[in-house]
Amino acid sequence: MAVETMKMMGFIGKNELMNKILRQLVLDGSLHAVNALVRINSSDFKILPTEKNIEALEELPFLKSYSAHRDFSEDEKIITGLMQLFGIEPQVKLEHLLQDYDYDKFIKEILNIDEEIRHTTEEIQERERTIEEKREYISNLSYLKEHQFDMGRLAGMKYLTFRLLKITKENYEKLKKNYENIPAVVMKVGDEGKDVVVATMTPVTLEETVNKILDSLNYTPLALPDGYGGLAFEVIQELEQKIQEDERSVEELKASLSHYREEYASVVEKAFSRLQLEKQVEDLKSDAALGKHWFFLFGFVPENRVGELKVQLESSFGDDLIILVDDIAKSGRGITPPTQLRNVKLFKPFELLVKMYGIPAYNEKDPTVFFAITYMLLFGAMFGDVGQGLVMLLAGLIMEKVMSDGNFGGILVRLGFSSTIFGFLYGSVFGSEDLIPALVIRPMANINTMLVAAVFLGVLLLVASTIWSILNSRIQRNIEEGFFGRNGWAGLGFYLVLIYSVIKVALGGSVSPVSIALMIGFIVLMVLKQPLAHKLEGMERLYDESAGSYFMEEGFGVVETLLSTLSNTISFIRVGAFALNHVGLYIAFETVGKMMGSQVGNIAMLILGNVIIIGLEGLVVFIQALRLEYYELFSKFYKGDGIEYRPVKLKGLAHAPRNPFRTIAH
Amino acid sequence: MGNSLVYAAVNTKIRAMEGDFLTAADYKNMLQKHSVPELARYLKDNTHYAEFLKDVDVEKISRRELEEIFRRRIISDLDRLIYYFKRGYKDFVRSLYLKYEIADIKHLARLIFNGSKPQDFSQSLTFIGKYSRLQPEKLFAAASIRDLITSMEGSEFYPFVKPLLDGRRENLFRFEMVLDMGYFSMINQMREKVSGTDYKILQFWEGTVADLYNIQWIYRGKKFYRLLPEELLNYTLDFGEELSFTKRKALCYAANLEEFYELVQSTGYQFLFKKNQTQDIYMERRINRYIYHLLKALNRKYPMTIIQTICYVWFLEYEIKDIFAICESIRYRITPEEARRFLVRAF
Repeated sequence: MAVETMKMMGFIGKNELMNKILRQLVLDGSLHAVNALVRINSSDFKILPTEKNIEALEELPFLKSYSAHRDFSEDEKIITGLMQLFGIEPQVKLEHLLQDYDYDKFIKEILNIDEEIRHTTEEIQERERTIEEKREYISNLSYLKEHQFDMGRLAGMKYLTFRLLKITKENYEKLKKNYENIPAVVMKVGDEGKDVVVATMTPVTLEETVNKILDSLNYTPLALPDGYGGLAFEVIQELEQKIQEDERSVEELKASLSHYREEYASVVEKAFSRLQLEKQVEDLKSDAALGKHWFFLFGFVPENRVGELKVQLESSFGDDLIILVDDIAKSGRGITPPTQLRNVKLFKPFELLVKMYGIPAYNEKDPTVFFAITYMLLFGAMFGDVGQGLVMLLAGLIMEKVMSDGNFGGILVRLGFSSTIFGFLYGSVFGSEDLIPALVIRPMANINTMLVAAVFLGVLLLVASTIWSILNSRIQRNIEEGFFGRNGWAGLGFYLVLIYSVIKVALGGSVSPVSIALMIGFIVLMVLKQPLAHKLEGMERLYDESAGSYFMEEGFGVVETLLSTLSNTISFIRVGAFALNHVGLYIAFETVGKMMGSQVGNIAMLILGNVIIIGLEGLVVFIQALRLEYYELFSKFYKGDGIEYRPVKLKGLAHAPRNPFRTIAH
Repeated sequence: MGNSLVYAAVNTKIRAMEGDFLTAADYKNMLQKHSVPELARYLKDNTHYAEFLKDVDVEKISRRELEEIFRRRIISDLDRLIYYFKRGYKDFVRSLYLKYEIADIKHLARLIFNGSKPQDFSQSLTFIGKYSRLQPEKLFAAASIRDLITSMEGSEFYPFVKPLLDGRRENLFRFEMVLDMGYFSMINQMREKVSGTDYKILQFWEGTVADLYNIQWIYRGKKFYRLLPEELLNYTLDFGEELSFTKRKALCYAANLEEFYELVQSTGYQFLFKKNQTQDIYMERRINRYIYHLLKALNRKYPMTIIQTICYVWFLEYEIKDIFAICESIRYRITPEEARRFLVRAF
């Protein structure tokens, strides 16, 4: 349960080695890059003026950001073309990437292959094009299938022209309504939803006029083949035969390439992997800064990866690469480090819901574990049922395994489990309370106890989150909030005394003067938090702004504190209410089931009821619990304004080996 | 649908925005100006256009820049109004952009046809892609009308322009005609998205506008372009308030202009033809004025309807048209008295 510690790493290398160095960094997949110029200009950047570094140091004032973004679309087109031709699956393989190679030289090889077989590929394309064309003829001719037209004679007419065209229905209507004025025979031969296909016949002398009219109807001509005789269906048969011939010759042409395939398939496969890597490298370059001879690149790397990465790179590049490793500045100045959460498997899925609120800042405590435990607790308490819980657990397992949605499925499994446990405590199976005994309590029979217990749970959780907030303030060395803030010691003290007094009054006692004095004391501390903190820190200025507006704001702050303390606590009553609601909903379905009259109807209603309860109430409770977490608890101690850790990685390389370079001898 | 609920909010917004329209006094003052910069300065110092002119050096402004700035106002106002609508209505209100978008595409086509470079004009064609799924940068890269058509692939316009690609018919005239026809076909579909009273009002309103445009089109086609009656008819808008297909057909097949005038006399649109010298010059303005007053009447009659929104957009457009009419009359040194006659708004 923690936020992964990061180190700031710097890579300063010779320009000519840039591609190779970046390639290794991408393959390593643990660098979260930051803009190099921003890093160099940040206050905590330092580089020791040793002999090794001196050359690089000289370049510092003249650095430029990398701007020549290389376009790989041409390479990509050729490579995917070859892959299609050879029938190669797109797959990134590590073995091709670990070799030592120069991308440009390598890609020339590919271009040569492409050149060599271009003649054949172009012929294949040409054949495929004519096949396409013939297919279109066939689809056009099929409109004329039912008519006894001799295509040869239609095409060879001297005084008439025959055409097939497509117009929209709207326009066809216009044509029809004005048919008496159109100097052409128009025959509807097909209907295709929005469009109509018509055949037209016009005297050659009137063709121009007819063309103008048809133009105004925005037609699409449908091409008919030249030089074929016979009825439409005969021409179609003939064309189909020709297509088969063409397809055969395409196959033959492809077969003639087979020895190329044997020879070059592996090269093309390699090319694909290398292209993917090169694209990532190019992306990474946009964060680099370039000098005359040296390039600079910076980024965050998780602490446990630093050593290995450093050793690898040093062994590969030696003196041509300077590696800087810096701790992250405690002060919080400089570039914000990214946050990588690390949690045990039990709590990991809940990271999803925490991230929905926000990523913890680097110097903030990761609330996932707290969230996971309290969330399971709240959900189970509101939705306690052995049967329904197990259904959810099962659904979660299916999602995890079948749909491989580990996060959401995982959450469902855990919530289902918690619901099952509470089911035993409440003695509820699929809503029925008659099957097993309640280990602790039956909610419906003890309404007041449930509601009071819920509020009590709320008090515990609020106290816990306030303590969490105090711990966070300690990490951030924030005296003002930690000691005197609403979510600091003063707030906690006030809250505890307040709760104590409320309980006492509820039990028939009265509030003691000491309690009142304490509460007033804590409120005064809260109002004076800024001047007190500044005094303790030994600062000269007591207020950040003018004292008047400070007290104005804090005055309202006190009222707000009083209100929100109460409402936050009462808000937890919903935990008890939903537990009751859960039973109540079932009772409703049970009653309707009994009214059905038949056994089958009764069972059907109970099943329907359970489906609705799991679906609808499950969702409502899921949201309500989330609401409690986000509003009542997170707002006390969790900011969530961090940046997510996104290392540069090669996509498609599913399991990046932790140590890819060990295998290469240098 | 709770029309009054929706319109209560949007109409309040419209009333507030109408407060920014130019007043009669503004028009009078503008007509007294002697140069475009002077006019621009007046707008900057005295009117709501100040907001759009604040970063502009009015001394150096050209007519084209001014036009671009004002078109931005249409966008910013419409965007504000769209916000108030939901679902089908949102689509409908968005479709009010369509007219301007098509005007921009046509403008672009003309520029490409004349061989202008994209950097000359890409700035000023802001409406492209505002309603449709067009990707402006693709369109700006086109070097010919054919390119332009292919670059529209995937957009709402493509089905209309696609047929032009076959048989080398991609000329400018057809391209423009096809887009216009496409516009009205799309508008016709949009009407289906509104309900009840709104639908009826739109039918009347759009039908009347279609009538006016149809008469203008047939008249011009007959008088200036000598188009075939069949062509004329095919290019008319296929809906109308008063002019049914049969009436349109009769107009298209009128043997000569005299016969045409006679036929128009029997419709409610005879006012367009005064048979004097100024008839052609003022026809556009007569149509616009008729629309303007029709809108005003509808606006009063149907307070809680979509017509309020339409009115606002059209009035804004007319205001901008009038500003440019004033610009032109300044440049051509037309006296204020004469210039007034070219304006849509009477004051």
